[in-house]
Amino acid sequence: MTHPGELISAYLDGELSRAEIEQLLIHLDGCGRCAAEMQNMQVVRSAVRSLPLLELPARLVAEADADVVPLHRNRGFLVGAAAAVVALVIAIAAIVTPSAATVSLEELNSRYGARASLDPAFGPAKMVVPDLTELLE
Amino acid sequence: MRRLVAFATALVLLPASTALAAELDDLLEESREASYSAEQVITCSTPDGVHDAVIELSQSSGELHVGAPVAPGVEVAAGSGGWTLVREGAVVSSANVEGTGDVPEPRYSVDEGTDTEYLGRNAIRYEMAGDGVVRAELVFDAEIGALLRVVTFNADGSVYCERRFITFDPEAPLPVDEENAEVIQSAEGGAQSDLPDTLGGFDRLDVYQDDAGFVFAYYSDGFFSFAVFQIPSVLVVDSGSPVTLGERVYTRSFSPGQVTFAWETMNGGMAMVGDLPPDMHEEVLAGLPAPEDPGLLRRLWRSLFG
Repeated sequence: MTHPGELISAYLDGELSRAEIEQLLIHLDGCGRCAAEMQNMQVVRSAVRSLPLLELPARLVAEADADVVPLHRNRGFLVGAAAAVVALVIAIAAIVTPSAATVSLEELNSRYGARASLDPAFGPAKMVVPDLTELLE
Repeated sequence: MRRLVAFATALVLLPASTALAAELDDLLEESREASYSAEQVITCSTPDGVHDAVIELSQSSGELHVGAPVAPGVEVAAGSGGWTLVREGAVVSSANVEGTGDVPEPRYSVDEGTDTEYLGRNAIRYEMAGDGVVRAELVFDAEIGALLRVVTFNADGSVYCERRFITFDPEAPLPVDEENAEVIQSAEGGAQSDLPDTLGGFDRLDVYQDDAGFVFAYYSDGFFSFAVFQIPSVLVVDSGSPVTLGERVYTRSFSPGQVTFAWETMNGGMAMVGDLPPDMHEEVLAGLPAPEDPGLLRRLWRSLFG
């Protein structure tokens, strides 16, 4: 068996099967280098675990809040605002389209009638007469 | 010798045909100058049914005033490039244009005319024909030249519209009210347009662009005429109905003596307004941009920003 460095780490993490553990222990019994390596790794792990947990300074948390959290809020606000503007534009267009974009027959009649009055054939045969139902409205 | 005879024959015939072509213009010109008042019945048989009206009109010095017994307080005044619709003393719609003075190539001629009687007066009846097809029957007053009756025909000989006087008084033209000659829209001829020079045998005489963004061209064949409009927005024809001509779908509306087609293109609305008979509609419209759905986004854009 070659020196199983990765198996040592896995063993310390509790990730080996029973058969793998037996195989590793047999190797450690006969290999001082691997036994020493496992001992070192155990020391380091113990040392890390023994470090105290520190509270973040309140000022740092406040600064982080100011920089990070509001950024998400701004993005959401911008997306929402953009959606609102689009919705508003569509709503206005939907309301405005039938009236503002409408041209009446009278506007066409007046122009056609004006030009037709210059026509040599203009007269009772060519007089542009608006629809009387339209006149009565 | 045969060449000489042919040349002499041509000399005899050429002035005759020219005279016939010019005679229609002369008759219409004389009719424009007549002064009178009258009641006129208009009856048009259209593909959408019969459209008729009774109007009162007076003509003086080329100016024509029209009212309707069923619509008191409403009057239309037209002449010399102006057209004004007045309702209850207020101008509802008005336009004033200047023409370039161009005239179409003569397309119609009239026959020699036959004496007749109309409303107890001596009159002369003419048939107006083009390309061998009778397109109108015209009855002029023999004394003052007023056009008393006009019947226009489709190519198959069926009647499209009849306009006839039912009363006629050459002594009493109605007074002309100049106070209502307010101009709401004005336009000068000579604007640029990509509209064709000719459409279905009609010559484009003028192109106008006015303050409201309307571009319109006036076409005439010497008797019938129409205007083609390019509109920056959408034309809504309340009384119109969809019609398919040559696989193209338009909104069409008839009124007494007049037809309106409206449709949309990618660049805005278009309309054709005129007095041409129905059998001419398809050929004229085929020469214009076809109806196209501009899509929702383009509609919105046009409605918001023009």
